[in-house]
Amino acid sequence: MRSRRLLREVLLPVALGLLGIAVLLPAPAPAQEEVTTSLRRYREHEAATGIYEEYEVRPRRVRPLVGVPEVLRRTSPYASYKPRAAAEAGKRSRLLDSHAGLEFYEQRQCQVCHVEQANHSHTLRGNVTCRHCHGGEPIAGINYYFSPLNPIRRYAQVCAKCHEGATASFATFLVHEPHPGTLSTRKTFPSLYYANWFMFVLIVGTLGFFGTHTLVWVVREIFVGIKQRKKPELEPHGEPEDEGPGKPEND
Amino acid sequence: MKAPESPKMTEPVRILRFNVLDRLFHLVIMVTFLIQAATGLGRALYPTAWGRGLTNFFGGYASATTIHNRVGIFMLIAFAVHIAYILAKVEWKAWRQSLFNQDSLVPTLRDVRHLGQKIRWFFGLGPPPTFDRWTYWEKFDYWAVFWGLPILGVTGLMLMFPLGFSHIMPGWVLNVVLLLHRAEALLAMLYIFIVHFTIGHFRRGMFPMNECMFAGSVELEKEQLEKPSWIARLEYEGKLEEVMVPGPPRWYRVLYFVFGYTALAVGLYLLFNIILYRSYIEWH
Repeated sequence: MRSRRLLREVLLPVALGLLGIAVLLPAPAPAQEEVTTSLRRYREHEAATGIYEEYEVRPRRVRPLVGVPEVLRRTSPYASYKPRAAAEAGKRSRLLDSHAGLEFYEQRQCQVCHVEQANHSHTLRGNVTCRHCHGGEPIAGINYYFSPLNPIRRYAQVCAKCHEGATASFATFLVHEPHPGTLSTRKTFPSLYYANWFMFVLIVGTLGFFGTHTLVWVVREIFVGIKQRKKPELEPHGEPEDEGPGKPEND
Repeated sequence: MKAPESPKMTEPVRILRFNVLDRLFHLVIMVTFLIQAATGLGRALYPTAWGRGLTNFFGGYASATTIHNRVGIFMLIAFAVHIAYILAKVEWKAWRQSLFNQDSLVPTLRDVRHLGQKIRWFFGLGPPPTFDRWTYWEKFDYWAVFWGLPILGVTGLMLMFPLGFSHIMPGWVLNVVLLLHRAEALLAMLYIFIVHFTIGHFRRGMFPMNECMFAGSVELEKEQLEKPSWIARLEYEGKLEEVMVPGPPRWYRVLYFVFGYTALAVGLYLLFNIILYRSYIEWH
């Protein structure tokens, strides 16, 4: 009996608490370890041979429960990755120099052409500039295989620069979020689109109903006045509510 | 001014409406809500000069974020305490009676009827409804916070631990969550600063300050107009004498008047700036 009580009152809450902590806290920050093969660590390999290989970066140990279907579904590593809300991403997104051949490119600033893209919270609040993530010239398209922003490695080479321990799932957060209310968003990011309209209807509905209700009420009370109301209605108030009499004692 | 201290007037009879714990919960949600509103709005409007100034009041962007996060966790804990309180208050052996009686905040069909009557009264088509202890808009206020707080709390926790949460769901969910958090927060602020303030304080007969949430008690004479059924029920049950309480002491009145007006002013100041800077709020 006692052990059962112990189980119920101590062990179960502790286990639930630990589970909660495990869910809430970020995973133990995985070093963004560079490896060439599963057998040899890159640095050892590099030091021993002096040969610099092309390598991938992947976090150690962490296996997120959530995969990124856009990445997993690709049939070959060279297949184009079409991120959400970037339906218009054309073939330039696959070039090594995505701005190749553009006239007067050197004289322009990013936000002159990428008006919408320049306006997001990473820039406005975090002081992150375009080049922090997209790199220097030539700016590779995000679907170019060796681009740091290619989703197969963007979490490690871009996101993790600030967000220590970023995973591929984490990196699917859309920094250049589309406008949630537009029809094109319904195709590219439906959950955002429907969440937006749900909240819009909720806000307009609640404030519309209670705002009008309150406004009419205030106006009505100004015209009626409490003192006038007092006289004719004290008698009708005597009538008890339907459950008034015969009501058993509560509380 | 009501001038209760004038020697000619006899002290009005007051009856208890909110016990100490009710008032304490209201005080906690009031202070934390205003802090969350200021730190949240300041950061949502950070690109504007006003938003920057507001976050600077809290020590800058990072500091305002930390305050927002910690106060948010505190609110969730306070909410858990509140749930424990209401669960302890219900008499589970007679739960129907306990949940659906007139002293309970659970909405019933009567509230729908009262709303209909009230709307008819707006247009002069009938007498106003005779309310019992809680009116339908008071119940709505309570349940709006009751559902709004966990929604804001859960979405806020997700945004507070984005790495942890992206382990159990895709990272793009955070885009949706951020939108929900902001929209829900805006709804809460607009509702409180417009509807709740107006009903509580700016109506004729309430203006300029409704003291009952601080004093805990209301004047019997006024309540006979506002909540006639409640008074009638108390008289019928012979409990009217039981709930009579002395008025709040003078120092306490001074204290809560200063505090209450400050809170009102902060709320209206934020509301004014929400309206002023509405086009700068980032929804995405």
